Amino acid sequence: MSSELYASIHAAEFPAQALLRLRTDLRAQPVSVLDGPTLQETVCSLNRHAVRIGAVPCMTRLEAEGINGLHLLPRSKEVETAARAVLMEYAAKFSPRIERVREGTECALALDITGTERLFGPPEELASRLRDEMATAGFRVSIATSANFHTARMKSAATRGITIIPEGEEAPALERLPLASLALTKDHEETFELWGVRTLGELGALPEVELVKRFGTAASTWRAMAHGTARHTFQPIEPAFALKEFYEFETPVEQIDSLLFIGARMIDNLVSRAAGRALSLASLDIGLELEGGRSHHLVIHPAVPSVDRKFLLKLLQLEIDAHPPDAAVVSLTLSAEAGSSHKLQLGLFAPQMPEPSRLDVTLARLKAIVGEDRIGSPVLEDTHRPGSFRMARFVVNAKPSAAPIDESPRMALRRVRPPRQIQVAMHAMEPIAFIDGDNRFEITANYGPWRTNGCWWSQDAWDAEEWDILATDRTGVAVGCLLVLDRLRNAWRLEAFYD
Amino acid sequence: MPTAQTLRLEIERTLENRFPAALTSMTRSIYEVAPTGVASVDAVLEGGLPVGAICEVTGPESSGRTSLTLAFLAGRTEAGQVCAWVDADDAFDPESAAASGVDLKQLLWVRCRNECGLARAKPWTRLDQALRATDLLLQAGGFAAIVLDLGNMEPQHAMRIPLATWFRFRQAADRTRCSLLVLGKTAYAQSSAAVVLESAPFQLESAGGSVWRGSRFEMRHGRQRSTSLPAGARKPPASTWFASSVWDGGRRA
Repeated sequence: MSSELYASIHAAEFPAQALLRLRTDLRAQPVSVLDGPTLQETVCSLNRHAVRIGAVPCMTRLEAEGINGLHLLPRSKEVETAARAVLMEYAAKFSPRIERVREGTECALALDITGTERLFGPPEELASRLRDEMATAGFRVSIATSANFHTARMKSAATRGITIIPEGEEAPALERLPLASLALTKDHEETFELWGVRTLGELGALPEVELVKRFGTAASTWRAMAHGTARHTFQPIEPAFALKEFYEFETPVEQIDSLLFIGARMIDNLVSRAAGRALSLASLDIGLELEGGRSHHLVIHPAVPSVDRKFLLKLLQLEIDAHPPDAAVVSLTLSAEAGSSHKLQLGLFAPQMPEPSRLDVTLARLKAIVGEDRIGSPVLEDTHRPGSFRMARFVVNAKPSAAPIDESPRMALRRVRPPRQIQVAMHAMEPIAFIDGDNRFEITANYGPWRTNGCWWSQDAWDAEEWDILATDRTGVAVGCLLVLDRLRNAWRLEAFYD
Repeated sequence: MPTAQTLRLEIERTLENRFPAALTSMTRSIYEVAPTGVASVDAVLEGGLPVGAICEVTGPESSGRTSLTLAFLAGRTEAGQVCAWVDADDAFDPESAAASGVDLKQLLWVRCRNECGLARAKPWTRLDQALRATDLLLQAGGFAAIVLDLGNMEPQHAMRIPLATWFRFRQAADRTRCSLLVLGKTAYAQSSAAVVLESAPFQLESAGGSVWRGSRFEMRHGRQRSTSLPAGARKPPASTWFASSVWDGGRRA
């Protein structure tokens, strides 16, 4: 008894399947995919709904447009490449040994499933689970399992659904398949046609020596394949794990909603693929190709790696809302970086903290309201320049609770941004009154001047005199404020109020 | 002979039109409070500012509103909690906050902007941004304190905030156990505010007439919805408190 066992996956009409995988709205519609140079485009792939209404492969665009209700999509090699990677990724859940069998308008993979019975059960069960998994990824595939590689490959390509071929039953399983399954040259096909040989069963019944005399040694291989006994050296490939999705729109898209419709499906796929490896999405790279050849690039960094589809979609929406593309979008690429799943140790006595994923969405919404650079945690700069700070990204840090410091409260400033130009009346080198707009303030007490200067070697030089002022306006209301004399420009400014 | 229980019931029934349950002690609720970090103000507030409620700190400029609020935030961030400052006028000074003891890493600062880019632009946009930002932060939850800074906003503008907004804020603050502090020139939240503090400048202190060492402020509470004091008991009078200047090294009680 052979110890080998193969499962072959065959996705027919792959260009159409690759496009419809992300266009769930078109799955129940008749769709044809056009390929070829402009004005000479022909139908290269179509779904079963299109076949029902009369579409056939190799129709010209003009003929296809004549069919009522038929959706025509342009073929996209990039979409097919991305879809092929996804197909392989899902297949890799069942076996690490995968061989690429066929490309082009069909996509076929062969899996070495030898010894997987204890993991996935008998071949029937494995094939069923494999088909379900592919359906989850958005592919309709036919599957065949056999102890012979070529038998599984040819059978899956020629039949629909699941076919389990027991060992020793290869020849009967293949006898009705057409000769096209052997991928013969046109001349050989014509010769067999003249002989009246149309199926593998008829080919297998021919004497081997006579065949070799007429066709050469290759005929021996054909005959062995027709019998299901041809040998094959398995050549496994090692697909790189890349979380990437691509979609090219048939017409440039201006509406963000349309982008998000495809984006949602892409995020679903990325999350499923990452979750299949017990990973989360740590960052999301959004690439938008725009009309006119330009591109628009955005990056989303959730506070913690996440597999929450709704949360990631909301972040995507808010990011695109905050930085909308300035032209119609031709294609959308989502690339994700995988990260380990977030684990949070909660404590009964830990202080309440914002939930990281919810906070991310809140911060993104706030950025949309006030602007990206106007929200965050203030960080004081390492300089003596008064009022210098920068905004840093707000990150929730679990900080151990400490007892409050017994410190007296400090007088705080309320900044005037931007500082207002004022007119100051001086007497004996001291300010005695100032005018701020329409208001005149009499200074009752002044403390200063406190001189600071720095960066004299650069254009950012400052040289200022600070005065702490207690003043009263015409109504008698007292205010404490900080006045600054800019010595470089010889101008007075109202910088802040004490409060 | 009637028992004491019977007598009490008879007296209560007789007086029930004027005093419901006259001789029955009323159940008192315990309200969670967080200290402001200023002992004399905490004494007036019976422990501190309420948690899960709206507190208004009102007063003119230079009345100590911001200093008191920063002292409160310093205590919250020191306890490992996260706070937010929604700045309608972009007046927050990070240096003052750091000097007051606020852990800036634990503070989210939302700076509202002028759409027109003009300093004297109509304040509606900034006010609208501040309200929307506060709403989002309250709904997000997890913040121990959120400061809605309307300190420079003219009352005629801020008074137009609908009452429904304050009701929504009050409910959200209660649900998320967040202290929502509203800084303003006057009280805006009306019945939605649990505490209204009225702040006023009191006295300036200087050292040798050449250095401003700090200011003394007066604080009184205009309204307090929940109190642990028994009915009829007198509330403490307004208190004064001292805030030293940042450059003053001396500590005060």
